[in-house]
Amino acid sequence: MIVEENQMKEIEKKKFTFGDYWDKYSTVTILAAMIFVFGALQPASFLTGGNLVKIMEQSSITILLGLGEFFAILLGGIDLSVSSIMALSGALTAQLMVNAGMQPVVAVLLGVVVFGLAMGIANGVLVTATGLPPFIITLGTQAILRSLVYIVTDARAVSGLPASFSRIAGGKLFGMVPVPIIDALVTAVILAIFTRKTQCGRNLYALGGNPQSAWYAGITVKKHTIIAFAISGLCASLAGMVNIARLAAAEPNAGTGYETYAIEAVIIGGASFFGGVGEIPKVVVGGLIIGVINNGLNMVGVSSYYQQLAMGCLLIIAVTLDRFFGASRKS
Amino acid sequence: MEPIIQMKNITKRFPGVVALNNINFDVRPGEVHVLLGENGAGKSTLMKILSGAYTPDEGTIVIGDQEYQKLTPRLSTEYGISIIYQELSAVNWLDIRENIFMGRLPSKKAGGISVVDYAQINARTAELLERVNLGSRKPTTSVGDLSISEKQMVEIAKAIAFDAKIIVMDEPTSSLTEDEVKKLFVIIRQLKSEGRGVVFISHKLSEIAEIGDRITIMKDGSQMGTFQVAELTTDDMIRMMVGREIKGTYQHTPEEHYQFGDVLFECRNLTRKDNRAKDVTFQLRRGEILGFSGLVGAGRSETMCAIYGAAPKASGDILMEGKRLRIRNPYEALRHGIGMLTENRRETGFFSNFSNQRNIAIAYQLKHSLLDGIWGLTNEAGEKKIAERQRADIQIKCASLQQLTSQLSGGNQQKVILGKWMAAGVKLLIFDEPTKGIDVGTKSEIYKLMRGLADQGVGVIVVSSEMPELLGLCDRIIVMAEGRITAEYDVTSATEEKLAKAATGEIA
Repeated sequence: MIVEENQMKEIEKKKFTFGDYWDKYSTVTILAAMIFVFGALQPASFLTGGNLVKIMEQSSITILLGLGEFFAILLGGIDLSVSSIMALSGALTAQLMVNAGMQPVVAVLLGVVVFGLAMGIANGVLVTATGLPPFIITLGTQAILRSLVYIVTDARAVSGLPASFSRIAGGKLFGMVPVPIIDALVTAVILAIFTRKTQCGRNLYALGGNPQSAWYAGITVKKHTIIAFAISGLCASLAGMVNIARLAAAEPNAGTGYETYAIEAVIIGGASFFGGVGEIPKVVVGGLIIGVINNGLNMVGVSSYYQQLAMGCLLIIAVTLDRFFGASRKS
Repeated sequence: MEPIIQMKNITKRFPGVVALNNINFDVRPGEVHVLLGENGAGKSTLMKILSGAYTPDEGTIVIGDQEYQKLTPRLSTEYGISIIYQELSAVNWLDIRENIFMGRLPSKKAGGISVVDYAQINARTAELLERVNLGSRKPTTSVGDLSISEKQMVEIAKAIAFDAKIIVMDEPTSSLTEDEVKKLFVIIRQLKSEGRGVVFISHKLSEIAEIGDRITIMKDGSQMGTFQVAELTTDDMIRMMVGREIKGTYQHTPEEHYQFGDVLFECRNLTRKDNRAKDVTFQLRRGEILGFSGLVGAGRSETMCAIYGAAPKASGDILMEGKRLRIRNPYEALRHGIGMLTENRRETGFFSNFSNQRNIAIAYQLKHSLLDGIWGLTNEAGEKKIAERQRADIQIKCASLQQLTSQLSGGNQQKVILGKWMAAGVKLLIFDEPTKGIDVGTKSEIYKLMRGLADQGVGVIVVSSEMPELLGLCDRIIVMAEGRITAEYDVTSATEEKLAKAATGEIA
């Protein structure tokens, strides 16, 4: 018992170390460092208000996908189908407006909200019913849904979206802030409140931290797993809406490979790939980091061939630092 | 006769415990040497030293004229030591011949290239199967299609194929029918007649008397002696296996005569879907602590999991305060006021990514949320108050409530989990091995807390493999064996001998 008390004092006394700092502020630090470097290299073009808003707008899709992906990863799983859900939701919504002549509001309600939730729930039900790893299930649904996009669009872009839709969903609030940024931020705020203030959010952290303990503690594991994938599906279809609004058309190849951006945003945002650890605001910052890299490298004049290289290096470095200095090192 | 192997003065320590204390064990050709002891007596540790998995801290191992400080898995195999574990290690998706010759497939040259000689393997496998009375099976049969008893025979065939001098069988009869046990004994006698030594680990005393030649009895890492089986009665064996000093720290005192109230909880004819608990019926009165004794796998934890909704039931009723409950998952158990402290704290008891505060508050919060625990808001301040109260009430020693529970000692982790259920206000609390891996001081604190709960009218059920713990803590003890209740004792009439006897399936 004496030993224990001493240990406790030690824990209380412990100084604020680099590890503690890195635990809390790793994501923000990386973002600040990126902005500093690109700002120093290209102060005239990179560090303008207009460019920073552009970065945020470009990042909005990655952020939305990342926000959904966060919940799959929070459970120690993954959702590879977000890119296909995004494309199919965009295509469907465009078709509903263009060819079925629906009001944009109704089309968005059906093609984005209802459809996104349905696809996410389908993923969740498949995962819980089969007991297979989410990687396999969502790899399958990714392929299935992508194929459906080609079928729905006949592999051609759907254009001629109603002006009212493009004006609102692709427009600017007060003529300044692009609506996609608002979409991403509002979603992030709602989900941040959800994870911090609701019992369901708390349960998801518990389930991700230790699924067996969660079951024994009385958490309804299957229902919560389905909820997590439903959120992922909804966020992906919101990204699909933003995408068609920005392009004023639904492309059959939209979002191909974007699931990697989503995963990168979550992981650079400090979430544990093993589940149970992560925060919504950091996912937003993770998404912004990806936007800054892509935009910054362009501004500096680096060939786009190098963008993936930079992303890959950053991902490995960020997670390595986390491994050696972050919270995971303790357990 | 010259022993095949001699283990001399073997001592093995693990942090905090002496697992083996100066053990002398040898195996002679053509004998069945029985190893008897309770769970945790050190049998497995001794066999792991024999297999080369563990290195002894002291002592030597003599094989022929060679003397070793330790064995390696490779040396052990080379000297012909073969171990058949309780969880058979046969690979289900390979066929019989592949299992037998795994890693040593005979080869032949075909056009200068080494290829597997299937003709030879088939012939030798068929011959081996004949020897273990499994001639009806083809060498190419997939092992996954065999029964447990047949798989065991395949493992014995494998041992013969490697020309094993010593074959260790770890509780080989635990999942066999009587007929299969008889068949196994025929093979064991055959192995003996071929001059092989057999180490037979079992809890079933009648089997020991039938098949054993010599017996070594172990208790708490010490050797109680090595005898000719014929010299001992089963009562002698039980006495040596369990007879230990009973520590008085949490013992009932004579003046403590508890008055029990009405029936709080009742379990009627409960049978699990997987049959690991069969037709279990018992009652629990208010204020009473009810213990469950028996061997690991006897169906005690399995019964509790079924009551708690963590494992599916085939039939049976669960009643709280006379009302029948429908419990299909732990959430419904929690809503009805049933909590369970599981045996594996780390894996099933708490969340390693949660602070003490969150771990304590979660059951209360879930119980007060709607829609299967989904709908509800968390309340940081309320949570903190709940956790503070438990921290004070049961004296959880932690740096702060914000500290991760995974950083606490085992005893304090257990207190956090106990606090979780107390905060949730349960009516029935099930403790599965509540003091496993917990230091003596915290143990007695936990016993006091359990008695306190019972005094407040909470139903308390304890599953434990430590008989002194049950005898010191409980008012009544139920013994289970092979999924069924075999005996029930009032604590005043229960003894370790009686419990041990009932646990082996022999009703006293």
